[in-house]
Amino acid sequence: MKSNFNPFTLEGKNFLITGAASGIGRATSIILSKLGAKLILADINQEGLVSTIKCCDSEAISLQIDLSDAASIKDKIFKAVSEFGKLHGIVHVAGKSYIAPLKSVTEEKCREVYSLNTYAAIELAKTFINRNVYAGERGSIVFISSVYGVVGSAANVAYAMSKSALHGITKSLAIELAGKNIRVNCVAPGFVKTNMMDSASSMFDSNYAETLNKLHPLGVGEPEDIAFSIAYLLSDAAKWVTGAILNVDGGFTAQ
Amino acid sequence: MEKFNANIAEILEVDKVEMDDELSSFECWDSLTILSIIALSGENYNVTLSAAEVNNAKTVGGLKELIKSKMK
Repeated sequence: MKSNFNPFTLEGKNFLITGAASGIGRATSIILSKLGAKLILADINQEGLVSTIKCCDSEAISLQIDLSDAASIKDKIFKAVSEFGKLHGIVHVAGKSYIAPLKSVTEEKCREVYSLNTYAAIELAKTFINRNVYAGERGSIVFISSVYGVVGSAANVAYAMSKSALHGITKSLAIELAGKNIRVNCVAPGFVKTNMMDSASSMFDSNYAETLNKLHPLGVGEPEDIAFSIAYLLSDAAKWVTGAILNVDGGFTAQ
Repeated sequence: MEKFNANIAEILEVDKVEMDDELSSFECWDSLTILSIIALSGENYNVTLSAAEVNNAKTVGGLKELIKSKMK
């Protein structure tokens, strides 16, 4: 007789995913839907959200939102949840890169990167723990940082600041929210084939793709490689995992 | 583009630049300087440049013309 044993299932769970209109966010939405989750897909790009929803196997709704406008996050999520149902977790994928050498870095751009990559994560977590949003039982929050939150690289000071800060937030919230049975973890991806990587690559010379590949013993990744790790952290298979920074980087940081 | 020359001079770590100065002749010319020019172009003129375009511009004047030609 075939066993129904599957601790990785996401059946009966609702999640909110930011950055769901493209790249890692889209791949994550598709994988979670295939694992049975129902989804609120959030992004500033409504057209991209509609495309992602068409790829999903389970119920999914779109939430157009500018996450760099922290003051709007709570109300928009409250409204979406009141129509959709309470959540078992959130995934903050949305983010922007800012490649600029130190002498070109400006406070304005640093704040812009920080507000989306970092402060939105805090505001999302704050909204999630509200009794009108959190479904109770077991909760899981997953942030997406970067290998550049772990190791250094030139011309990356603002992005590195925003991503390494997520590691501190992850560990602090893991402790603070354990009592509510909410786990908080972070995935630190290496380079994966997305539009963000393409636009960054255009700033460098023609050997950049080869250079990037050499940084990853397993080669550059696919968005799905990150999505699978997120699915694990959201599932009950990870019920004893909290405060972890999971490097999913094809061996980038193993060197 | 009134501050273009002053901004480029700052990036190239000199007091002033001339239109026919060759970009690759500056002592600080390297991949990070190219990134600084790309950042300047994006932030001040809303023009996206690639490293190849910056290299192909050859001179300060060529760079200025390149940015002007891509401004909307």
